[in-house]
Amino acid sequence: MPDFAKTFRALLVAGTVLGTVLAVPAAAESAPDAPASSAAPASAASPATPSQTTPAPVVAGEEDAVIARGAYIATAADCVACHTAKDGKPFAGGLKVATPMGDIISTNITPDSQHGIGKYTEEQFDQAVRHGIRADGANLYPVMPYVSYAGMTDQDMKALYAWFMHRVQPVATTPPETSLPFPASVRSAMKVWNMLASSEKPATGDSATFDSQKRGEYLANALEHCGTCHTPRNFMLGEKQDRYLGGGSLGGWYAPNITSSKTAGIGDWSEDDLVAYLKTGQVPGRAQAAGPMGEAVEHSTSKLTDTDLHALAGYLRQVPALEDDIERKARDSFGQAFNAPDIRTAVPKRIDDLAEMSPDRIFDDNCAACHQRNGAGTDDHYTPSLFSNSVTGTLRPDNLIMVILNGVDRTTGKDHAFMPGFNGQSEVERLSDTEIASLVNYVMGTFGSGDPHVTAEKVAEFRKQ
Amino acid sequence: MSSEENLSADVVIVGSGVAGSSIANELVRAGISVIVLEAGPRVDRQHFVENFRNLENKPSYQEPFPAVPWAPHPPNQITPNEYLHTSGPDAEAYQQVYLRMIGGTTWHWAGCAWRYLPSDFELKSRYGQGRDWALKYDDLEPFYYQAEVTMGVCGPDPAVEDLGSPRKQPYPMEALPISFAAQQFRKLIDEKTPWRVVHEPQARNTRPYANRPTCEGHNNCMPICPIGAMYNGSYSVYDAEAAGAKFIPNAVVYKIERDAANKRVTAVQYFDPDKGSHRVTGKYFVIAAHCIETAKLLLVSADEQSPDGVANSSGHVGRNMMDHTGVQVTFISGDQALWPGRGPLETNVIDNFRDGDWRNERGAYLVHMVDDNQVDLATQMAIAKGYVGRELEEQIRYMAAHTVRLFSHNEALPDPNNRLTLSKTKKDALGIPHPDVYYKLPEYTVRSCEHTRKVFRELIGHMHGTEEQWTPGYFPQDHPSGSTIMGVDPRDSVVDGHCRTHDHDNLFIASSSVFSTVGTGNITLTVAALALRVADTLKKELTHA
Repeated sequence: MPDFAKTFRALLVAGTVLGTVLAVPAAAESAPDAPASSAAPASAASPATPSQTTPAPVVAGEEDAVIARGAYIATAADCVACHTAKDGKPFAGGLKVATPMGDIISTNITPDSQHGIGKYTEEQFDQAVRHGIRADGANLYPVMPYVSYAGMTDQDMKALYAWFMHRVQPVATTPPETSLPFPASVRSAMKVWNMLASSEKPATGDSATFDSQKRGEYLANALEHCGTCHTPRNFMLGEKQDRYLGGGSLGGWYAPNITSSKTAGIGDWSEDDLVAYLKTGQVPGRAQAAGPMGEAVEHSTSKLTDTDLHALAGYLRQVPALEDDIERKARDSFGQAFNAPDIRTAVPKRIDDLAEMSPDRIFDDNCAACHQRNGAGTDDHYTPSLFSNSVTGTLRPDNLIMVILNGVDRTTGKDHAFMPGFNGQSEVERLSDTEIASLVNYVMGTFGSGDPHVTAEKVAEFRKQ
Repeated sequence: MSSEENLSADVVIVGSGVAGSSIANELVRAGISVIVLEAGPRVDRQHFVENFRNLENKPSYQEPFPAVPWAPHPPNQITPNEYLHTSGPDAEAYQQVYLRMIGGTTWHWAGCAWRYLPSDFELKSRYGQGRDWALKYDDLEPFYYQAEVTMGVCGPDPAVEDLGSPRKQPYPMEALPISFAAQQFRKLIDEKTPWRVVHEPQARNTRPYANRPTCEGHNNCMPICPIGAMYNGSYSVYDAEAAGAKFIPNAVVYKIERDAANKRVTAVQYFDPDKGSHRVTGKYFVIAAHCIETAKLLLVSADEQSPDGVANSSGHVGRNMMDHTGVQVTFISGDQALWPGRGPLETNVIDNFRDGDWRNERGAYLVHMVDDNQVDLATQMAIAKGYVGRELEEQIRYMAAHTVRLFSHNEALPDPNNRLTLSKTKKDALGIPHPDVYYKLPEYTVRSCEHTRKVFRELIGHMHGTEEQWTPGYFPQDHPSGSTIMGVDPRDSVVDGHCRTHDHDNLFIASSSVFSTVGTGNITLTVAALALRVADTLKKELTHA
């Protein structure tokens, strides 16, 4: 596997040289509206003083419809996922997003004029969302999926702007600044990256009147930005378009191949399966959403209209199949219930005997209460079955390791799917790397695609994610 | 003997159960340094679950927690046991069990999180019985709520079902759904009696709460909640540690040192399992051990300055031992099948006997219809009756569905003669004497139990019950209390209304040992609320000092 971070850094160094020729002073980039920010050094006065601070007028009578459309676009584009810290105020930023470049902290995009984007003109807002350029002229890091949002129509951009300016509650706090090591610290290097990365082309017309196929494509690419996670990245960390939705790794989680391949992708899923998954985060016998996909379902896809979900699902089902180097059989086609007698000693061990437990005991004592000893889960599927489950049927143990470490916490409507994590902060049980490795090997070996021979060292790497 | 380490903190706490860990968590988050000394080991859930799965007798809730030699605890409720020796006319009624380990006895409780009634704090002035506490319900109300939030308590909406303890805020979580058995029982009580069945407040998740899952009704809260849906003290330990508190397991405190004037505690000393001695200094000290261990520690710390034990100028340390010693019956309902065992163990009670004018002559009580799975008992009974083959299966099915278990928490009174002393003959591996308890059920409680039996017989009649099996004598409830009793007068009590010992300005006790009377609700929430009030007092004194 190429060392993305290293290659990327080398390119950024080169890009820095080129980029600085074009760039505004790097020091001016400390806040979205640097001139107004007291946090910015005095010497960092930027030429990008907003020319107007009031939003573009919206024609009376149409206002509600426009704002409603903007709200829906914001949901479909899942802005809240990155721009809200855990337990933080909506859109006030502060979430730390791990990237190969380092941790990037999302910004406050509430309409607060000092701390947020309240002074952004519609043009400046558009520049940020669709082109990755802040009001002060500095480049955003591409963790902000502007290459996807570039595909939004002008009309939807206007609506999104109107909604942000009129309906989002301003929050007067500035999250900590992103501080990446050189050369990524030089944001202007992104200009070079942008030249090499391929952005979506803006769609034209009224997205609400698109036919189902076009609407689905628009939702998948311009709004939901599925490819941000599900398309693997090239050596420059741009999306590899020849592997579109072919599966990629992000922050420890593996966003699987969701092309129409029947072996490597989701070709055996019906449109209704996909709709159910996007709406509830779970399809019994196939998969359930956790980690970043759990958040995407919670904040975004579960709130889409059924028509849109069908359009999106229909589009995904015809994405050209891509095969995979590793997966040779549908991920949800593995395993069966494990029915064997549970032979016991009838003798309790002294409580200070903390000798390492065997893998089946670790499973029995931490997992079986909910997932059942035979792995079948509960009849109502609140606790999913461990066989016929993409997480154990994949040949990549990544998501099983991540879910054991971090658990599941996904709310859709009135349903709250929850599994505790078993990491070092768990209140329920703090499993060691060795214990998690044994458990993953046992679970995949017993219920899934086979023992992946995960080591404690491997678990330790995931724990750091 | 003595170690190199220099152990010192603003506050030194003895005991890491719900009381000690809650205080540690509050203090450390206020910037106060804390060391918690725990006699027992540190063990996590999976080891207890493993022991539970190995257990032959599943309801035997003490067995998955076999003690270590340096911190023994009673092995079970069977008389007599090797550790807690009881004597007196009702010795069997005081065979209490508890745990000595990080997290404390809430590892195996049933999660019942009652607030006491306002009258429970004023038994003497309202009914002329027992004592008044040196605080009122209103003093404790904010801390009750804080404890409910910390522990994650679910309970009914007071507008719909008022449990008699006034609330300023709703329960943090809505009440548990009522099990099938409880629905049947409720219906019967509603139709045939003037009484009512209420939701029991429970420290158990009815939704994901505090990064722990929703209760799934495994029905083995005791011995161990296998998924962490029910609160136990280990969560507060984790929380306190995350904020910087230091917990030392296997640290058996055996001595409390005081200054020359005997007014302030200066240090505590503990043994490690190899009997190496360590000394821990601090500004304030809190004994937050189990009621029995708290009194034992104060008594073993006796020296020339305090020949009767620390904090014991009143002579009341170890006296006034109480419990909810009650009555228990199991029978076969002749009417509808109840199918108990679906959901948590204890979720619904008859609360009509918690208070009334009659409390001037007999104790109050609370009736639990226990919702535990009866397959084990039904199987034993069916085999004993000689059934085989298909008939055996049918009998097991019938009895498992129709068995009803009722038990009561009956109110004891503080009687100085019910007394814990140090064993003169038995010592643990470190040479620390075992506790002995003399117990005679107060007449007040005997009268209460007689009334309970009458009510139980009436209920059995309503249900056309047969095959009654009454637990002989009285039934210990594992709610020991009173051994360092609270009061306003230093001559007949050990701590004041803030749980500060009358004798030593910087020594507090956070334990059911401070209870002046024992009411009827399970004691844990009141222990937690008192502990949080101690934390509040300490925060004020340490941050204003």
